[in-house]
Amino acid sequence: MKQHVMGVDFGSTTAKTVILDLNGNIVSHAVAHMGAVSGNGVKQSMKDALDAAGLTQADIGRTVSTGYGRRMLDEADKNYTEITCHARGAVAMVPGARLVIDIGGQDSKVISVDSNGLVSQFAMNDRCAAGTGKFLEVLARAMEIPLEDMGATALAAQEKLKISSMCATFAETEVISLLAEGHPKTDVLGAVHKAIASRTLGLVGRVGKKGPVVMTGGVANNPAAVHYIQEELQMPLILPDVPQIAGALGAALIGLDDYRAENRQLLISEAEDMAREEQMAADKACVPGCRGVPEFAVDPREKQPVPGKLKSLVGSLQKHF
Amino acid sequence: MERTQIIDSFAAAARDPLSYAKQWKARTGRPVIGSFPMNFPGELAHAAGALPMILQESDDPITVGHGLLFPFYCGYTRSMVDQAVRGDFDVLDAIMFGDHCVQLLGAADAIRMQLTNTRVIFFQLISSMCDPWTQGRSEESFAKLRAELEDFAGAKVQDEAMHASIRLFNKNRGLIRRLYDMRKKGIAPLGSVEMQHVVKSSMVMDKAEHTELLEKLVRIYDSAAPLPARNVRLHLSGHFCQAPKPELLEMIEQCGVTVVGDDLYHGFRYISTDVPEQGDPIAGLARWYMDRNTGVPCPTRVQNNVDWDAYLLNAMRDEKAEGMIVLMAKFCEPHMYYYPEVKEAFEKADMPHLLIETEHDGMALESLKTRVETFVEIVKHRQAA
Ligand code: SF4
Repeated sequence: MKQHVMGVDFGSTTAKTVILDLNGNIVSHAVAHMGAVSGNGVKQSMKDALDAAGLTQADIGRTVSTGYGRRMLDEADKNYTEITCHARGAVAMVPGARLVIDIGGQDSKVISVDSNGLVSQFAMNDRCAAGTGKFLEVLARAMEIPLEDMGATALAAQEKLKISSMCATFAETEVISLLAEGHPKTDVLGAVHKAIASRTLGLVGRVGKKGPVVMTGGVANNPAAVHYIQEELQMPLILPDVPQIAGALGAALIGLDDYRAENRQLLISEAEDMAREEQMAADKACVPGCRGVPEFAVDPREKQPVPGKLKSLVGSLQKHF
Repeated sequence: MERTQIIDSFAAAARDPLSYAKQWKARTGRPVIGSFPMNFPGELAHAAGALPMILQESDDPITVGHGLLFPFYCGYTRSMVDQAVRGDFDVLDAIMFGDHCVQLLGAADAIRMQLTNTRVIFFQLISSMCDPWTQGRSEESFAKLRAELEDFAGAKVQDEAMHASIRLFNKNRGLIRRLYDMRKKGIAPLGSVEMQHVVKSSMVMDKAEHTELLEKLVRIYDSAAPLPARNVRLHLSGHFCQAPKPELLEMIEQCGVTVVGDDLYHGFRYISTDVPEQGDPIAGLARWYMDRNTGVPCPTRVQNNVDWDAYLLNAMRDEKAEGMIVLMAKFCEPHMYYYPEVKEAFEKADMPHLLIETEHDGMALESLKTRVETFVEIVKHRQAA
């Protein structure tokens, strides 16, 4: 039986891979930024994660894919939607979470999770890139500012401006006219992030507001998006260490469940083997509880190491020889 | 005749009803009467010697019709007006409709203004279904409609002719209900698009011709054994006037779904209820109109002792459905008003459902697929939990 499983999130702008051991611990993860949906990006993230774990694809017992390109990944044994996987991954990262806000490259979703960590309701942006990473990307280009600097710049906003259109193209026109009116970039960017936050609140309204709330997806790395969403929501957002990998982690955990269930017999017999070995060692022991290493000898009646008894036994043996 | 041949004949009429009407007219030399959903008694027009045809939403994008109806009207009404303005309804000798919602009334007015040479007959139906006078008022409406039809046809519509039409229509409905029952039991593995072809063509085709084909189809399944199904069993609900787009239904089934029941107008809603075959035929049609709302409740009607949500939950228990997909046409007011009650009842009953809002022009099918797949995953996880 193999000792690892893999989750791959084949997203619209990034590819994420997580490798787990059979106890569900993250062994490695990787995020590859490769522009639009890209087979190369996903291969890169898988290779990076495998290299970091010192493994090859042949060592992986189960691979589950998610994200837009989930059906395109040949290595995947199964695929699940990003909603199911993000919910699973986010709850694993933040146990007890009841609402997941995920804003990725091309979609934004709000998922309500029941007490068992299962999706109970969800809402997605249904028409355009409104309120997604793509929206930010288009406006970053219009404002000639690097995408990764947008958040920090927007946090310095002083005046509250409003962008009413959620269509990226129309919003671009609004942004350009605000800049032409002489408003500073900081204030305009503040308005851009506020627009995303309002849109997100609309999705939250559709599934019902409840907490604790986790935010995942690439946009969770943008401090202004987090700030404005918290303000709109009037609730704190919990951010996992690596928010982008929630989907890949969820996929890997689903793969792990699947792999363990399929190999239940093997897992049971491995456990049985260990128990049997212990029993045999115990039966053969010359010292009660000895497993062949005297230092670890345990008196079953006391369930504790017995140094005193051990010392006297060793002493009497030495005397004999 | 092979199963696929029969389904293909149904599909051809369902896909292009107006061409079917032209051919029928050329073949028989008799008039074609187009009607709007939902409560037009086709039996009356049939007894008058005409081909009753329920007018269908077209796949074409709305063009000139845009100028006549607001863009927030549902796709069905906008498409009706668009087809009328483009001259597609020229084959029709008359159009008849009973009012069932404000948008439909608006569409009927627009059509009446456009098709000045086509006879447009309007009949009003009482919407309150459980008053002591409901039966009487319904009889009055249908009697008026009969008089209008007689005037249009230039001849009396005899009771015997009506009884014969009622028997034929009942037989047709009964056969489709048998198919529904066989599908529920896994004997007739009809996909939801195929089932739509069956029902939609029944709204369009000559009833006798349709019934003959139906009998053959039912016979094919009669001796079949139930097939094991491993998919998630779902019920489809909604769409009161228009057929859901086949590509949408196909996408739903591609997500590992078997549709085991529905209450769509282009589905069980259309064939749920028969007209009494004995007694005064007009009284029988009035009874049918009232019974339809207990057969499959309609949010456009008011009936205190009937709940659509309770009906849905019961039907799903019977179908052993594990969840429901609601197809809501944008922006169908009666559906939008009633949906919160369905949502609340389903949440209370812990029965999963997914709302999909449909549009006349273009739907983001790929994104919808993600939502349907997630829904299927939720239903499966609930089963496993
Ligand atoms: S009931 Fe709904 S779908 Fe039918 S005509 Fe009225 S608004 Fe349109």
